[in-house]
Amino acid sequence: MPGRDNEAGGLLCRREISNGDHPLCLGNGSIWNQYFKDAEIVEQIDRDEAMRNILLLFAKLNPAIGYVQGMNEVLAPLYYVFRMNQEGEDASEAEADSFECFVQLLSGSVDHFCQQLDNSSVGIHSTLLHFSELLKANDGELWRHLDASKMNPQFYAFRWITLLLTQEFELSSIMRIWDYLLSNPSGVQEVLLRVCCAMLLCVRHELVCGDFISNLKLLQHYPEVDLEHVLDVASHLKTPVSSYQPYSII
Amino acid sequence: MAAYRADEEYDYLFKVVLIGDAGVGKTNLLSRFARDEFSFETKSTIGVEFATRTIHVDGKLIKAQIWDTAGQDRYRAITSAYYRGSVGALVVFDLSRRVTFENTARWLQELRSHTDPNIVVMLVGNKADLRHIRAVSVEEAQAFARKEKAFFTETSALESINVADAFTGVLTQIYHVVGRKVLAIGDDPSALPIGQTINIDMKDDRQAANKAGCC
Repeated sequence: MPGRDNEAGGLLCRREISNGDHPLCLGNGSIWNQYFKDAEIVEQIDRDEAMRNILLLFAKLNPAIGYVQGMNEVLAPLYYVFRMNQEGEDASEAEADSFECFVQLLSGSVDHFCQQLDNSSVGIHSTLLHFSELLKANDGELWRHLDASKMNPQFYAFRWITLLLTQEFELSSIMRIWDYLLSNPSGVQEVLLRVCCAMLLCVRHELVCGDFISNLKLLQHYPEVDLEHVLDVASHLKTPVSSYQPYSII
Repeated sequence: MAAYRADEEYDYLFKVVLIGDAGVGKTNLLSRFARDEFSFETKSTIGVEFATRTIHVDGKLIKAQIWDTAGQDRYRAITSAYYRGSVGALVVFDLSRRVTFENTARWLQELRSHTDPNIVVMLVGNKADLRHIRAVSVEEAQAFARKEKAFFTETSALESINVADAFTGVLTQIYHVVGRKVLAIGDDPSALPIGQTINIDMKDDRQAANKAGCC
């Protein structure tokens, strides 16, 4: 990526800057203009250097989305795995490999990060609606209880879904869940919704007894549970009649 | 009526939102107030985070239900769902980053378009500990708050300065607004399902109720 050969490790390298271009040039053609935009992204990312490179490159290749807070959480398990497996080898391979996997992993859900698509059929609200339908089909009573207490799935499942559960569990549990998501032929997003639904079913007793406040606290700080049991429940869920097909064209 | 209550007793339940640009310290303000904790490595808030704390005002128990929202632009588009029913707001900026102060005007506008006009607003200049790189003067922030009919305070979640005062200030003010309005508080648990908050709309007394009911 640009700037990699810069000794100072910054975003610009000397020979990229044409004569007459300087930091006060406001035009879009000024390399400094781009530099300040990139610096703004980097400031928001503020993580490990390789992860910063990956996220900056992703943001530059996807200008409509840019860097969205939380992407670092999705990238972290991938980078961790590649880095651990490439000990002693060139670490830059871990950077390239995790970039590629990050792009692949997000390809099914990158629209969740895009504000302009929020209310479209591929946006986060639509996904949350499918999540809600999945719960309704599998446990109508729990669905009614949550609905009656005004527990909008957006209050807890928004983070579960956009970050692929990375903020809800310890790294070892995330690895196990992601193995499950990635190995299932139904596709990551479909299976993710099933796991999220199973997470509700596994604490249904507490939820049914709880009020709005205790339920929201419970779901925002999901308790330690038997993960294999959650995944087992996820495997046996019924599919709602209006089956969710995130990749269908029509 | 014997009512099952999952949480502790309280006389009033007020919903308060924390809004403002990313990185101004909303999450640490809340964790300082709710749990007396501060972290240098707070994760970005994705969507919304939620905490409660109960305080005493005039011998009454007031339970604050505080919604800490994500500040980044992308998440702003979906914050309106969190504003619903809130009766107080802390609009937070970073005293050392001027742009976050300038953006409070936008946050206020957005807040007002989704909430009751009587909502109690406190403008909060956080990171007061960064005295050497301060970028907004007290006078300027105060003048802006006056113009916006908001209260103003400076806090440091890091050094635990004024944090509790900022929250209790907002809660006390909400209590006074409600108290002026509602002389006799109904005890009808069916008036509001638990988790809803008191609406301080001056036009509708019936909506003000306390002891939100059982599940």
